[in-house]
Amino acid sequence: MNAATIERLGAVIAGIVVAVVAFYALYKDWRAEGTENQVFKLMLLLLGLGAVLALLAGLNVVGFAPPKGA
Amino acid sequence: MSVASLARGAHGELDQLYIETRELRLQGFLLFLVSDCVLFSSFIFAYLYLRNSGQGWPPPGIQRLDVAFAAWNSVVLFGSGATMHYALENFKHGKWMAYMWFLLATIVLGAGFLGGQAYEYNHLIYAEHVTWWGSGIFGASFFTLTGMHGMHVFFGVCYLTVLVLQSSAGVYTRGKYFGITAGTLYWHFVDVIWVVLFSIFYLL
Repeated sequence: MNAATIERLGAVIAGIVVAVVAFYALYKDWRAEGTENQVFKLMLLLLGLGAVLALLAGLNVVGFAPPKGA
Repeated sequence: MSVASLARGAHGELDQLYIETRELRLQGFLLFLVSDCVLFSSFIFAYLYLRNSGQGWPPPGIQRLDVAFAAWNSVVLFGSGATMHYALENFKHGKWMAYMWFLLATIVLGAGFLGGQAYEYNHLIYAEHVTWWGSGIFGASFFTLTGMHGMHVFFGVCYLTVLVLQSSAGVYTRGKYFGITAGTLYWHFVDVIWVVLFSIFYLL
């Protein structure tokens, strides 16, 4: 197993964990009111989306992957 | 429980000034984040404009950035956003030890991200010969934007370290913790900016 595979595997596993945690925190805070909570909700949503992007990149669904043998 | 009933100093005195100015502090801090967002936006749009005005991207002679390490490093930073959120939540609920552990985890993950960025810079400069000063628009925009973001992460780590010291000294109470709220907002902001930078540099 080479370094890139380990990095991708780490990105996938940690991406799932972070996305679940972020979306769960968003779900828990969904009814919270006040300016700061609205900002927190927006940022948690974007954080969760970022984790999903990193997860998809780890799975080679998005982003650049070097051709085999390169 | 109202803010007024909780906003007491270390010796139990009512902090009237804090109660009256908390909302103003929050608005001022959000305004700061908006101004920072404008700063990043201007650089990001300049990069996208330059990228789309050339003949193909990346320019000839420069390889595309490999996404594997960047994805891993990104998840480290996003994970720190989650730990910071739970640090604040635990503080709000009076769970002091959990708050400190999550705050320390955030600092470690933030420092880990900076270490990862330093490793990537080292690899780009010495292995692929991509530099800020000698690789045209690609090198200039990549190092400027990611460097500016890295500087924000560095200052964030410093700020969180100050929060640890202040918290240990009893500066914050359950009703008077705007510094922790500001730290959490700032850290989330840094995370969100990286979502954009990760997308435009590694995924597009």
